[in-house]
Amino acid sequence: MSLSSTPPEPEPSLLSSESFFDEFADKRSWEPGWLADFRRENWEKTKQLTTNLKDDRWRFSPKARFGYKAVSGLAQSEDSIVFDAPEANGKTATLEQLDRILLQEPNLLIDLPNLAGPNLGADQSFHLARAFAEAGFYLRVGKNQKPDSPLFVDHSTNCEGLARFHLNVIELEPFSEVTLVERISSTNSDSGGLLTNLTHVKAGEGSKLTRIIIQEMNQHSSFHNLENIEVQKNAIMCNLAIHLGSAQTRVESKGSLTEAGAEFENLSVTLATKKQLFDQRTMQHHLAANGKSTLTFKNALADQAKTIFSGLIKVENEAQQTNSYQTNRNLLLSNEAKADSMPGLEILANEVKCSHGATTSKIDDQELFYLLSRGISRAVAERLIILGFFEEVIEKIGMQDQLADVRERIANSFTE
Amino acid sequence: MTTEANVNIDREKGNFHFNTNYAYDAGTGLSEDAVRYISEVKEEEPWMLGFRMKGLSIFEKKPMPTHWATKDLENINFDVIRYYLAKGQKPSRTWDEVPDDIKNTFERLGIPEQERKFLAGVEAQFDSEAAYSRMKDDLEEKGVIFVGSTEGLKDHPEIFKKWFGKVIPTSDNKFSALNSAVFSGGSFIYIPPGVKLEQPLQAYFRINAENFGQFERTLIIADEGSEVTYMEGCTAPKFETSTLHSAVVELVALPGAKIQYITVQNWSNNVFNLVTKRALAHEEAEVRWIDCNIGSRLTMKYPGVILKGRKARGEVLSIALANEGQHQDTGAKMVHAADETTSNVIAKSISIGKGRSSYRGLVQIPGHFKHCRNNTECDALLINSESETDTYPAITVQGSENSVQHEASVSKVSAEQIFYMQQRGMNEGEAMSLCVNGFVNDLIREFPMEYSVELKRLIDLEMEDSVG
Repeated sequence: MSLSSTPPEPEPSLLSSESFFDEFADKRSWEPGWLADFRRENWEKTKQLTTNLKDDRWRFSPKARFGYKAVSGLAQSEDSIVFDAPEANGKTATLEQLDRILLQEPNLLIDLPNLAGPNLGADQSFHLARAFAEAGFYLRVGKNQKPDSPLFVDHSTNCEGLARFHLNVIELEPFSEVTLVERISSTNSDSGGLLTNLTHVKAGEGSKLTRIIIQEMNQHSSFHNLENIEVQKNAIMCNLAIHLGSAQTRVESKGSLTEAGAEFENLSVTLATKKQLFDQRTMQHHLAANGKSTLTFKNALADQAKTIFSGLIKVENEAQQTNSYQTNRNLLLSNEAKADSMPGLEILANEVKCSHGATTSKIDDQELFYLLSRGISRAVAERLIILGFFEEVIEKIGMQDQLADVRERIANSFTE
Repeated sequence: MTTEANVNIDREKGNFHFNTNYAYDAGTGLSEDAVRYISEVKEEEPWMLGFRMKGLSIFEKKPMPTHWATKDLENINFDVIRYYLAKGQKPSRTWDEVPDDIKNTFERLGIPEQERKFLAGVEAQFDSEAAYSRMKDDLEEKGVIFVGSTEGLKDHPEIFKKWFGKVIPTSDNKFSALNSAVFSGGSFIYIPPGVKLEQPLQAYFRINAENFGQFERTLIIADEGSEVTYMEGCTAPKFETSTLHSAVVELVALPGAKIQYITVQNWSNNVFNLVTKRALAHEEAEVRWIDCNIGSRLTMKYPGVILKGRKARGEVLSIALANEGQHQDTGAKMVHAADETTSNVIAKSISIGKGRSSYRGLVQIPGHFKHCRNNTECDALLINSESETDTYPAITVQGSENSVQHEASVSKVSAEQIFYMQQRGMNEGEAMSLCVNGFVNDLIREFPMEYSVELKRLIDLEMEDSVG
């Protein structure tokens, strides 16, 4: 089998220059020694990365669009993360800026060097985020605690050519419940920036986490979103992403069901227009019995947009009685839009129910005809059908206010 | 219910070999001299030697594809393999002319019996060269050509040269390059326009010598409006060390032609079976690969169809059975290169014991074509708790007038099903066997009669003792 795209050698970038890193390290000399070592170690690793010209984890991906060559510096980290979480006052949940934790209670993050990434190909982004992250958030929900209203975290990036690295840690103690909404946006609409966002999630026994990500960066920006999610005994994690913006986005999302009875749901809708590129790599990793995971990634593609979906269900031998599903649906709205789909299975246990499905097709003629015959214009009819196509996923948001808000955001992104 | 037991595989039918004195032997190891020797023995024209040399240099340059394929490939030692062995045999026209020891081999494989069943033609390959070939006279009168590739090149260069190496370029992959360098044997078939063969043509491939690599090259050309079914079977005795089979099969279906290519592969499980198979389907042509992989240590085979003409259709039906110590890495490739082309892939795999089966698929539909459709279904059945299965499809679609759907599922035989049958007096093994046969039944129905009977029997044998 030949590969259609061969990623180029890693280009030298400002971020790999010795003097640039030294200057960065100087600026953060107040950090504890282990953290300084951790940063340097990861920075060294980015320089040792050897590029395998035929890395399957980048198959079909125009890797050059995900490089750091054009980065001209690091963006200031003030205000790059803003909270809207009236309830998170330390009683039910702790929601803090990464910098404040590092300054006041660095020991809360002492495990950081041991936390793995999703490891689905973007090694460079992973190590750069660990070397250069100045902003991020730390969320911890105490045992049995259930904040009534959702917590909001807003990430932003703006400046031309500048990169920003966010490092986030989410921990749910046993039997806690929380809903977290993360919004990712640009502060202006005409200059592009780069945001690499690395998130570690641990959902403890019996906990329930609902995480919604709404990405609306401007059309010049790059987004690298890496998330590694661990779901423990009987915990339920629902991860739902809505991607509307950016010039190019690489998503790496891995959920590991490490203990018996864990449930993991990973959902995504993407509206890809113009020359947007969305490269999605996912993994559902079952390591213990009685786990259940469902993945649904829906992409609507217009103009010259391109999406790549590569998903893997891996069921280890110990993970008997696993139920695991993976679905990728692509709706093609133009002749130039291109969808690659690589749904994968690796099953090492026999008492399992696993399946995957991938479809790529255009809008159903009959559906379109039905709407046209009722006097609705073609453009509006197509939008309605796309909204209907997304509805299966976004209705899982549950909260009425949020649902209405998301529907509106999707509808608005058509009119641009 | 899933108590483990070693499964006894019935390969006894093919597990025998005769000591044979070879008149031609290219020695062990791959070198320019070995390639030159093969070309000289076969009295080839200079362009063919050039073709082989190019193959050799590409083979040496290309890395092993272990960045996506199994690391087991690294266990192939190209230096101990013998690349060409022949007894100096020329294809014999009647059974009586075949030397006795080779005859013994084929007697056991049942070739004369097969012929008695009025199969249209039989070609048998013993190590490197065709040992016996026979075709009914009426076919010859119609202008059908069915000979070994060496003969095809000598006697019909005008057709051979036009299509040889055109469907699968030498540089397609490392093993197609290897085949290009050292190929010998295989079939060359030409069906004239409008000729529709009612009986299938048959070929048998047999590895008889230890450390031997078989590299046959098959080229089938179905001219406009013709129809042909070709069946091949493969066996080898069990030797201590591993053996390599690396064939290249090219099919050309000219406008309106239909080719059906059936393989039942039952190599012993020390054979690395690394085969490149591809077809070119012109306007309104139909190519169907039916592929059953039961034997070998590692099979890597992804039959493909390039749908080059409008309304061309490609199909792959495949059954893979991976037992203890086996890895069946099979799949299909469908490249849509014209409007209104359709393709269908149905792959079923069964993993027993520690066996591993993988499906790898590739579907490509570029945006400037309209009304192309692909349907892919892969189902895997896992019998024991250590059985393994993987699915790695890659689908690229562009254009709002095209559609694809892909579905895969993994399951096991349910305890309820077994219980139901046990209640009716079957033992567990019989019940399991019946379930497995039911799992592949809708595919087997598509096969020609004698093959579906044979396959059902093979599956029964493989399933014996697989449950305790």
